[in-house]
Amino acid sequence: MSHSGALFEVAGVEVTSTMTTAAAITVVLSAVVIAGTRNMKVSHPGRLQSALEYAMGSLRDFYASILGKERATAFTPILGTLFLFIIVSNYSGLLPYAGHLPGFQPPTGVLSTTVALAMITFFTTQIGGFKYNGVHYLGHFVKPVAPLLPLLLLEEVIHPLSLSLRLYGNIYGEETVLHQVSGLIPLGAPIIIMGLSLLFGFIQALVFTMLSAIYIEAATGHGH
Amino acid sequence: MEQAIIALAAALTIAIATIAPATAQGKVGAAAMESIARQPEAAGNIQTAMILAMALLEALTIYGLLIAFMIVGKI
Repeated sequence: MSHSGALFEVAGVEVTSTMTTAAAITVVLSAVVIAGTRNMKVSHPGRLQSALEYAMGSLRDFYASILGKERATAFTPILGTLFLFIIVSNYSGLLPYAGHLPGFQPPTGVLSTTVALAMITFFTTQIGGFKYNGVHYLGHFVKPVAPLLPLLLLEEVIHPLSLSLRLYGNIYGEETVLHQVSGLIPLGAPIIIMGLSLLFGFIQALVFTMLSAIYIEAATGHGH
Repeated sequence: MEQAIIALAAALTIAIATIAPATAQGKVGAAAMESIARQPEAAGNIQTAMILAMALLEALTIYGLLIAFMIVGKI
């Protein structure tokens, strides 16, 4: 949390530590996935391929419990990508020197990143709604009674706002607590907080994508 | 003097914002455990619903935490 200023500028755009870390995470994740899906085999899959298949399979089964099997297959690519990016970002804050080296700061501990992630959910929800229900999707804004229109429109904006604030607040709060505890009791105590952070980092990634799935379910479902 | 009041305001913000969600989360946890004890085969579904309810409650505290950070920034 010490390097919040810009590192350098590219064509007038300030590049911060979180941006470089987010880019690094993207590159690492892509490299692992590309390495795992090269030479895919049906009969004797490699270790990496098996691990990736297991991860994607369990994520799809999890979203299928909310979206149903058909829509889960359609939306697992985007939700699973969000999940992987968020969980790796959360855990990157636990690596040594995170936040102390220039160019290395967990991206999800900054509001800009989480707002960007929530915007992805917002557009996925709206586009998904139109794709699955066509023009009838607009009908769900006046569904119980027409006077609710402003409230229902407001709700669509508040959903991504609360998504981004929840993720940002949790990760930023954890970082602050870890920082303070390390200052008070440098030996031993931070390990306990780090153990908790491992748990919370996973739960926050799960909750973010689970809520996204619920919003998508509400927009793409027929029963309303 | 003014700084002390600002510090107190920040502390009170997060303290008060914690009380109600903490009580509610306790109720959610208790109810979930009771349901799992009654129907252990539904533990997976109950757990998912519990985490979701807790996350929504936790968001309220997080809003308080953010406001507290903003107030601390004024010192």
